[in-house]
Order: sequence, then structure tokens, then C-alpha cells
Amino acid sequence: MHSLYARLNNFSAFLSSCLMGLLAAIALSSFLFTAEPKGELTLASVKVFPGSSRRMPTVKQEFTFVNFNISADLTPLFHWNTKQLFVYLQAEYVDSKGVQNDVVLWDSIIRRKQDAVLNIAGRNKYVFRDLSRSFRNAQAANYTLRYNLMPYVGVLTYGEAGRTSEPVPFPEPETVS
Amino acid sequence: MNANLNGLLEGKIDFEGQKLVETITRVALVVLSVISFIVGFALQSLQVTFGIFSAGSIALVLLIVPPWPIYNSHPVQWLPSLPPTSSSIKS
Repeated sequence: MHSLYARLNNFSAFLSSCLMGLLAAIALSSFLFTAEPKGELTLASVKVFPGSSRRMPTVKQEFTFVNFNISADLTPLFHWNTKQLFVYLQAEYVDSKGVQNDVVLWDSIIRRKQDAVLNIAGRNKYVFRDLSRSFRNAQAANYTLRYNLMPYVGVLTYGEAGRTSEPVPFPEPETVS
Repeated sequence: MNANLNGLLEGKIDFEGQKLVETITRVALVVLSVISFIVGFALQSLQVTFGIFSAGSIALVLLIVPPWPIYNSHPVQWLPSLPPTSSSIKS
């Protein structure tokens, strides 16, 4: 403490401790915000088509196409420690082999509070196909709208903002004329 | 010239000043953390929190690092030098 460098050293050492304490307090404060906004998720149509992918042109498999409507107000999730929201639509079903599948069909990143009111009519962004290459014996699927809250400091939190009111069965494959 | 420059860069302060600087650093940093958290929480803005914290830290550096005259207001009083004894003269 007698010299300039000793004082600077002492200051920066205690500054880093205080900064850690401040960050820990901010991370813990996120648990005070317990909003769980709910929105509506409805399916406009679910269709199954036979086809083949570009990577495996000789393999016949089935593709499901989902059109959906989302209306949800996720603004309560934005507090001082929210960096962004990752919102995704997930299909949850038990396939023909009895295995539980969770497939992400659509997602979106929301960076600002003013963008957090969702009114979206969309279709699946990612290809929806089954490992067994067919949806024929798969059980009816639940579609859920989920979010992942990414904070500036602290832990990621997950939540569900919407769900179809009842399981939606996969229709018979349509024939492509 | 060189000795002057070294003295300026070293920035010595006296013992009372060192004690004062230590106390100021501890109290000010804790108070600063608490205030920046409370204000940021009230305004729901991390930008405010870290704005206050960094501005306060810079002000604190300016307050405690340079050897301000107030930290040198209690110079050490040395005992007067003893008159040379006969034995030291002999040797």
C-alpha cells in the first residue's frame, strides 16, 4: 500500500472479488422472475408424402409437412438478465419401434422485447422424417411450443409456452400424381 | 531528475494514509457493488448496473492511486539523531 503499484494491485484484487459477487447476485436474481407465459398453438394441416431425399435418392421414405399457427406473448420473459429467447416447435411422438422421439420442426431467435409478441402462420423449417422411414405405425404426436431463455449471466432455463390440445395422428401418405 | 521521476512513479504515502486508502477501497467497492445492483434492478437494466460500477471504479482509482497530499499529512517523526559517543570516534 506504500507505493502506487501496491495500491493499484490492492484495488484490482478487491474489484475482481466485488465483480464476482455482483455477477452472482445478478445470476441469482433471475430466479425471482417466474413468469410462465402461455400461448396458443394450433395445427392448420399435417400431411405425409412419400419421396426420397437428395442425399439418398434411391431410398424411399416418407416426409411429413406441418402447417401451424402460433399466437403467444412472450414479453414477460424479458427481464434485465434476458439476452435472447430461443423459441422452437417440437413434435413428440412414439414411433413404430416404440421409441420416444422429440423432433424440432421450426425455431426462431427473439432478441428484443418488442419482437416477443408472436403471431406466426408457418410451416416446418426442418425436414420431418422418421428413422424407420415411415410414419405408418407411429402413434399420434403432440406438438409443443417451447422456449429456452438465454441470460447474460447465469443458467439457461427452459419452458413450454403452448401445446396442441390433443395428440394429432399422422395421416395416411398421400399419393403424388 | 531520474530520482525525482522514480519518486513520482513510486508515489509513497505515509502509514496513516495507507490505512485510510485501505478502508476507502474496501468500503467504497462494497457500497458501489450494492448500489449498482439495486439501481440496475430497479431500472431493469444491466447497462445501468455496469455503467455505475465502471464509472465508480474509475473515480475510485483516481481517488486512491495517486499520492494525494492528504495521504501524506502524518509523516513519520523520527527520533533526533544521537550525539556521537567517544567509542564511535575512537574506532
